[in-house]
Amino acid sequence: MISNMLRFPLSMFDDDLDNWFFPEARRFNRRPRSAYPPVNIGVTDENVDVYLFIPGMDPAALDVVIEKKLLSISGERQLKKQASEDAQVRTERFDGAFKRVITLPEDVDVDTVEAQYQDGVLHIRLAKPAVSQPRQIKVSAQ
Amino acid sequence: MSNDNTMNLQHSQQQTALAGQANAEVFTLRPLTDIHETSQGVTLYLDMPGVTKDALSIDIDQNVLSIRGSINLHTPENLKPSHMELHSGIYERRFTLGDELGVENIEANLNQGELKLFIPRSEQHKPRKIDIKVV
Repeated sequence: MISNMLRFPLSMFDDDLDNWFFPEARRFNRRPRSAYPPVNIGVTDENVDVYLFIPGMDPAALDVVIEKKLLSISGERQLKKQASEDAQVRTERFDGAFKRVITLPEDVDVDTVEAQYQDGVLHIRLAKPAVSQPRQIKVSAQ
Repeated sequence: MSNDNTMNLQHSQQQTALAGQANAEVFTLRPLTDIHETSQGVTLYLDMPGVTKDALSIDIDQNVLSIRGSINLHTPENLKPSHMELHSGIYERRFTLGDELGVENIEANLNQGELKLFIPRSEQHKPRKIDIKVV
């Protein structure tokens, strides 16, 4: 359901080959092995709720695009570079460009979308069309 | 004798099951952290998306700095998870601080899920420049 477009070409090779063929990969390989940003998805009868955990972003720098049934979220995280006299003791956080592509379920109305960025979490809410929401049907006796 | 063995086996299995349960209860996320060090002190940057100021606690016990925060997404009540990459709602991490850091004057700043902590070096541990007089 989820694919990470940026990581895919690099993960085909092991680390040593990456470094040999793509010197750029050295930079990529310092990232944690899981895709960035992490995504949680939940559904209710009315909506599909997508949560992306992307701290420290300017909401204007987040790109959310829906094309057919694909929802893509991309952006670039630029961590503050330390001054030259500082020693960088530990670097674990993600830095750089990211993109996540999510295949949406068939029963989602791609025209009714809300996106909100709060406390470092991007929340995208997509509505389900009325026809696919569960309905209670009354049984009448004859 | 064989009875004893069976008993022991059952006992240990039960213990493992309990331990597993306990682990599931305390399962927390480890916030990814960058640390920069200068002559003035140490700055920690922790990624804790989804944590608000009220849900964050920073404690110091002896020289151990504990940071804990819980995620509050205001999810709808009837939300059924369909895909999960974050499996816990709690971040937790501890750091042991060196004696040269002044724990009284820690500055904390939380902005869009990024926690910045500045821990100053105590005065007597700051580098000093010694003037040399030429006689």
